[in-house]
Amino acid sequence: MSSLAAPAGVLTTSSGVPNGKLGMWLFLASEVMFFTALISVYVILRMGHPAWPGPEGHLNVVMGTINTIVLIGSSVTIVLALAASEQGRLSSARGWLLLTALLGAVFLAIKAFEYHAKLTHHILPSTNVFWSSYYTLTGFHALHVIGGIGFNLYVASRMQVRVWELFKQRLELAGLYWHFVDIVWIFLFPLLYLL
Amino acid sequence: MSNTVSARLYLIIGAWLAGLMLLSVVLTERHVAGKVIVQIVVGLSTIKAFLVARYYMHLKSDQRILLVIAVVPFILIALAFGVVASSFFIRL
Repeated sequence: MSSLAAPAGVLTTSSGVPNGKLGMWLFLASEVMFFTALISVYVILRMGHPAWPGPEGHLNVVMGTINTIVLIGSSVTIVLALAASEQGRLSSARGWLLLTALLGAVFLAIKAFEYHAKLTHHILPSTNVFWSSYYTLTGFHALHVIGGIGFNLYVASRMQVRVWELFKQRLELAGLYWHFVDIVWIFLFPLLYLL
Repeated sequence: MSNTVSARLYLIIGAWLAGLMLLSVVLTERHVAGKVIVQIVVGLSTIKAFLVARYYMHLKSDQRILLVIAVVPFILIALAFGVVASSFFIRL
């Protein structure tokens, strides 16, 4: 589906990879290091505490499962937006992209509901090391989701026939970023909710 | 690859992702796998991440340099874990 040749009007590096795409992959590589550091700390702390997560109880698996399905669904919709864009169906691509942003907002709304439930029970980051890790990991992930929604809405706002040729590579970049956010959650969900 | 085929492939991959995630939930909630549950769930997550990277992020068809960029962090992470793990054996 994705061709090796750069679209017209897109500057490429000597490797043949468009500048923006190479930059996005390098950025994502740094993000892998960032989240791996956080997850590694969580795993080390987890291994050192036999009673985990503690007397405050576990997270709501049903909520986490629904949120995971929402995020997987948003990964499908954004890749369908890219497919529609490459087929020249701009209104369809815009629809899929806006649906992606909406699913991202649903994910955040469910996460906010979970946070609210914990906070009203006075379960704070300072409660114990599990909750400190939970708020840190999910908080940073949520910030990335917010950034992704903003990126998606920005690209959607540029989906006009007369300028799309110049902007369409940004849809692929938005997709790469969004899939990365999805991959991070693919690991966070079982670590925090299931194990 | 035609766009129709691509869309169908994307939907199939999405179904696999959802299915593998639900399998993880069922295995952990019913304590089916006993003590090896951690390895199984992390393994299923790795498979899901691989599917996303290969098909949704197009590492399957894109330039090889992007695959190298994607893999390098994991090599560095493995080295870091190697250093940490070695401290268990080299205690002075």
